[in-house]
Amino acid sequence: MVIARWRTASPNARREAVEGYVSLIPWMIGFLAFTIIPIGVSIYVSLTQWTGMEPPRWIGFNNYVRMFTNDPLFWQALKVTLGFVALSLPLKLVLGLGLALLLNLKIPGMNFFRTVFYIPAVISGVAVSLMWMWLLQPDTGVVNTMLYFAGIEGPQWFWDPDWALPSVALMSIWKVGGSAIIYLAGLQNIPAHLYEAAEIDGAGAWARFWRITLPLLTPTLFFQLIIEMIDSFKVFTEAFVITHGGPLKATYFYLLYFYEEAFQNFNLGYASALALVLTVIILLTTIFVNYTSKRWVYYESE
Amino acid sequence: MKLFLRISVFALLILLPTLNVVAQEPVTIEWWTVASEEFDEAVQRALVDQFNAEHTDIQVNMTLLPSDGYDERMQTTLGAGQGAPDVALFWNTNWYPQALDLTALIEADPDIDPEMYLPGFWNTRVVFNDQIIGLPLGVGANFVMYNKDMFDAAGVAYPEPDWTPEDYIAKVAELANPDARIWGGDRPRGPYRAIWYNMGARLYSDDSTTTEGYLNSAESVAAYQWLWDLVATNGTPTPADLEVLGTEGTGPVDLFLADRLAMATLNQGHMQNAIAANKRFGIVPEPQVPGNTRHVNAWSLTVSVWKGTEHPEEAYEWLSYWAGPVGQQFLMENGNLIPSIPSVLENWEAADTDYGQAFLSVLELEQVAAWDNKHPCKGTVLRAVSDAWDLVMLGEIERDAIQAMLDGLVPAADAALEECVGRLGG
Repeated sequence: MVIARWRTASPNARREAVEGYVSLIPWMIGFLAFTIIPIGVSIYVSLTQWTGMEPPRWIGFNNYVRMFTNDPLFWQALKVTLGFVALSLPLKLVLGLGLALLLNLKIPGMNFFRTVFYIPAVISGVAVSLMWMWLLQPDTGVVNTMLYFAGIEGPQWFWDPDWALPSVALMSIWKVGGSAIIYLAGLQNIPAHLYEAAEIDGAGAWARFWRITLPLLTPTLFFQLIIEMIDSFKVFTEAFVITHGGPLKATYFYLLYFYEEAFQNFNLGYASALALVLTVIILLTTIFVNYTSKRWVYYESE
Repeated sequence: MKLFLRISVFALLILLPTLNVVAQEPVTIEWWTVASEEFDEAVQRALVDQFNAEHTDIQVNMTLLPSDGYDERMQTTLGAGQGAPDVALFWNTNWYPQALDLTALIEADPDIDPEMYLPGFWNTRVVFNDQIIGLPLGVGANFVMYNKDMFDAAGVAYPEPDWTPEDYIAKVAELANPDARIWGGDRPRGPYRAIWYNMGARLYSDDSTTTEGYLNSAESVAAYQWLWDLVATNGTPTPADLEVLGTEGTGPVDLFLADRLAMATLNQGHMQNAIAANKRFGIVPEPQVPGNTRHVNAWSLTVSVWKGTEHPEEAYEWLSYWAGPVGQQFLMENGNLIPSIPSVLENWEAADTDYGQAFLSVLELEQVAAWDNKHPCKGTVLRAVSDAWDLVMLGEIERDAIQAMLDGLVPAADAALEECVGRLGG
């Protein structure tokens, strides 16, 4: 069929097609070199035992069998990571939207506030982790000191097995200004005449939000849901810098386990298997969210 | 014919100097290193310049890498089998199989003799699979530093070299003033280090087959109970205190120097910090249990020749200069290296001081690494049983429940050991 179309195409159309494919070549080389080939190598390595020094030893699906049948750390890391996603994702979506609504208000100096709230999103993860470690230090940290003056005994935060995961979630919420900017772009794309018409019809603020803002913002919400979910699955820096996975493995995130296996134990075959399983989990979750989006995402062009 | 001979001789005369130049072209040795407190960039460049001046046939090309990226770069080049340096720091045991066996070269070298090095460091750092895979550069060790001003202020006697774990707890309790956030001593940084070994505790069997009777042995239980007692004194900084108030990841030296911590397990770099701060301090080994072998957590840098080098003899020439008596003397005099060669160590400026003598005595002890290096699965098994450490550190377990807790962790520890041994060998 392609050959038939090529034969019937005009010289101009042929030249255009050739130019198009030639233009694609640099991208295709990059895509092959930096995406397809590494994924292929990773799949192969996941079926081997490899320290990175000696040649890989083929062991078939043993890494996967061990992971699902005889590795309590895998299940612990998965449980902790899913818990973090469940805890932080709704908070980030709701608070990001709330912040965007505030930043969309027409008041003087708003650009200043937009900049201030966006700053945490561009600060290095390690610096942010160290700052929060100081803020949440149980005895001398700012947060517990303020709670003390309010007559409340603050928790041990990162150093308490029950509070460690919520503490990391709290840190991630602090960076919500980044997503608020995306919401803001979505909010500003909503035509003003819809609000004017609604006001004329007597709609209050809540009705305008519920009937106009939220439906028209669902494409942005959908995008944010996917991005923030993937980001939550990849949580690592906080545990690496502050908690080291503890206490009692309460913050033993999936990527921390992957890091230990790959770069401390040099168990690269097993680490590759871990990475691929996480990729599949993220892929399936994304497909599921995408599937449900038909029911709740509204596109103006539809 | 005569003409041909004349032309040939003439051509030879012309070519000979050229051939001579080719033969004398110096061999370039690629050397990767990092800067540290023991030797900064300038000192290392000066050593290279001195070597290059003395060896016209060998030129060392020094590449100084950031410490953070060193592991990744070595791992990838060694794994790829190309692009690795001729000579480098081989501080990761995973790289040992990629190091050149130096046994024959050392035997043929009149200037290097294994017996000229401190035996504990030679045995634990450069002997691998019955081969000599490098030379030990410098020494480091942990020991307990005590703050004499804080001891004097509290009216507590200084620790003696033969002190016991119980003495340590008693002194912590005497020195601590929790309300003023003054701590008597720090907590160990992990189980199955010097104090655990001094108590006779081992994580698993010597043949790497089981943790039953080791992880949950009477000695292991006693060690965890000792930690429990130490935590219960309320006289030690918590992990949260150390993470935030201690800016030095290798030990709470800043709390020690600020007169907030009376005793701390530190190293020779911290000792030099205390000297620079004019601190009155003393040094003792970590507590011992009478009748048991006493251990020290000590280390040395393994420096090696890559087995893929095209110039093994020239690379060894530089290696033996760098980590031999000449290089270690140079790095000691111009940097802060503490040599691993006793004959050079005699010239160490602090060798005659009290703390210098105490430090030197620590170097003679049995090393934790002597067992650890032969048991590469220790880290994997420790990770599987880390809850035991966390529960005691958090004070979330009763002292009497420690035996049952360790018994309960044996199956998980055995599973981790079996997986690791299957992967790495015993």
